[in-house]
Amino acid sequence: MSTPLLQASGLTKAFRHKTGLFARPTTQLAVNSIGFELAVRERIGVVGESGSGKSTLGRLLLGLTEPTQGDVWFEGINHKQRRARDWKEFRVRTSLVQQNPLSALNPQMTIGQQVAEGLLVHRIAGRSGAYEHVAAMLERVGLSSAMMTRYPHQMSGGQRQRVVIARALVLDPRLVVFDEAVSALDVSVQAQVVALLRSLWQELDLAYVFITHDLRIVRHLVDRIAVMYLGRVVETGDIRSVYEWPRHPYTRALLASVPTMDSTVRNIEPPIKGELDASMVSQGCSFRSRCPFATDRCAVETPELRPIPAHGASQHAACHRAEEFPRSIVPQIGMVTERGTASREEMAL
Amino acid sequence: MSKLLTVRDLVVEVPARNIKILDGINFSLEAGQTLGLVGESGCGKSVTCYAVANMLPRGIVRSGGSVTFEPGGPSTRKPAVPKIAMIFQDPTSSLNPVHTIGYYLESALYRHQGLKGSDARMEAMRLLERVGIDRARSRLRAYPHQFSGGMNQRVMIAHALAAKPQLLIADEPTTALDVTMQAQILHLLEELKAETGMSLMIVSHDLGVIARLADRAAVMYCGKIVETASVAELLERPSHPYARALIDCMLSIDPDDLAPPVPIPGSVPLLDSLPEGCHFHPRCLRASGECSARFPAPANIGFAHEVSCYHPVAA
Repeated sequence: MSTPLLQASGLTKAFRHKTGLFARPTTQLAVNSIGFELAVRERIGVVGESGSGKSTLGRLLLGLTEPTQGDVWFEGINHKQRRARDWKEFRVRTSLVQQNPLSALNPQMTIGQQVAEGLLVHRIAGRSGAYEHVAAMLERVGLSSAMMTRYPHQMSGGQRQRVVIARALVLDPRLVVFDEAVSALDVSVQAQVVALLRSLWQELDLAYVFITHDLRIVRHLVDRIAVMYLGRVVETGDIRSVYEWPRHPYTRALLASVPTMDSTVRNIEPPIKGELDASMVSQGCSFRSRCPFATDRCAVETPELRPIPAHGASQHAACHRAEEFPRSIVPQIGMVTERGTASREEMAL
Repeated sequence: MSKLLTVRDLVVEVPARNIKILDGINFSLEAGQTLGLVGESGCGKSVTCYAVANMLPRGIVRSGGSVTFEPGGPSTRKPAVPKIAMIFQDPTSSLNPVHTIGYYLESALYRHQGLKGSDARMEAMRLLERVGIDRARSRLRAYPHQFSGGMNQRVMIAHALAAKPQLLIADEPTTALDVTMQAQILHLLEELKAETGMSLMIVSHDLGVIARLADRAAVMYCGKIVETASVAELLERPSHPYARALIDCMLSIDPDDLAPPVPIPGSVPLLDSLPEGCHFHPRCLRASGECSARFPAPANIGFAHEVSCYHPVAA
């Protein structure tokens, strides 16, 4: 096998914070020993609730945050061995697209200046060459090159997001990390941007890391998915097999939470209650406090991410009971939950 | 069921710039019913809510039409004083950061129900527990920044309940929340509606949220309602090309549905440069000459199903 484009092993990021003026600082693991591999032109989605550590993972991969432990290699070179010049080279070959396009753009610079900035900084093009590059890139993302003289406030949200995408792609990178790049947009604009990102990937030599909480968006954009909970990857695999037969109760709950277009589906108990509980990280499965299927074993033994035999090597889940879950994400009669066998009411979905 | 709210020919303008934000909105809402407003940003969904709640910001005025409440039925002599509460998209910025959750709820309980002291505190605790916040007693002393977005939205709902509203207006209540929290908040709203019998107006650009909560839905485009129907009817037989397009650009998680989303070409026009006739015609694949001449009058095409289009999509 050829070298992966991006690789990480044992990646950990700890944040220390104080809860009060005289309180002892506590350490929280935003990212907890994550291994990661991305092939050339591969697209992976990273999903989870806010606080699951997915944005921190994105920043670690791009070397924007130092890891507490672990290594990241891009095109075979470890981040730790990069010198200033290597970093500059790395910045040409990678890009980040963030959530809010208005705050990602400089209000005092025209669109053309901002898209051209990278070209000029990295001396990829001179002033006149940059102009042509930028015009072509703007047209490629569906904007007219006449937009170059406009300022961000003169554009709509969807147009701004296209500008940010143009700026990210103008250096012809191999890897783009999208951090919630589509979630805040209107559904109609979402569909436009999703269609754009699909066609760009087909034409360019690009790999995507797509970080989002929206399971509908990643579904249409990536080949592989990693589900994060409190800093760990709890399930990963080919997107189709994970969506068809999710093996971790958290993935199942996330998928079951997505509203359907069916107006007869009503009065359903939410699949999981509450929010991330960071006190669960120290020992055992960190999802156990919200998991209806947790047993005594889950409190003692931390489940490792392991392959699920039925799906070959593609699907991995970190759950002691991964094999017990049926294909359908609708709860089944007979599954043993913490409170005994699931009640008929819970079944009547 | 009795009518709670009737909106007739509602026009809302910005006089300083001579812009009509809403242009002849008509709908009614029955007691206990839920109306969903859908459309892209800039179509006037939120302004409709503000106009109904009589909360239009300065500089924006209601210049025509009527908003009538009939809380006690049509025979009430006194002018109707409706109890309306509203919750917003970004709960954390809707709450005052210098006041505790307890202060916030207790002052609302005093204002709406005249409760004071320990009565108010007990009721505030009950409300917090009702909206799903545990350890309510200690949480009353907490500040909004100590809560997550989902918890703050629960506080907003508790605050709305303090007024015992007959109508709750929810403007994108779950858009800023995680999908798991969204499922919890939607279920909470369902339960509260059943318990209190209040009506609900919900705004969302996510048709999934509308499908889950609303009985009827109104599709808005550029300050006009272009289609209204029951939610089931609208999702199954959308008639206006805009409604059809909104449904087609919803992304699905069904593993067998591999069709990519179909985006709507172009974007919502600015209010000061609205196209003549049907405002949607420049983006519409079915548009013809008459579409750019005159706005189509709403026509009944089924049971309580109205559409304003010369070329409705066949069922």
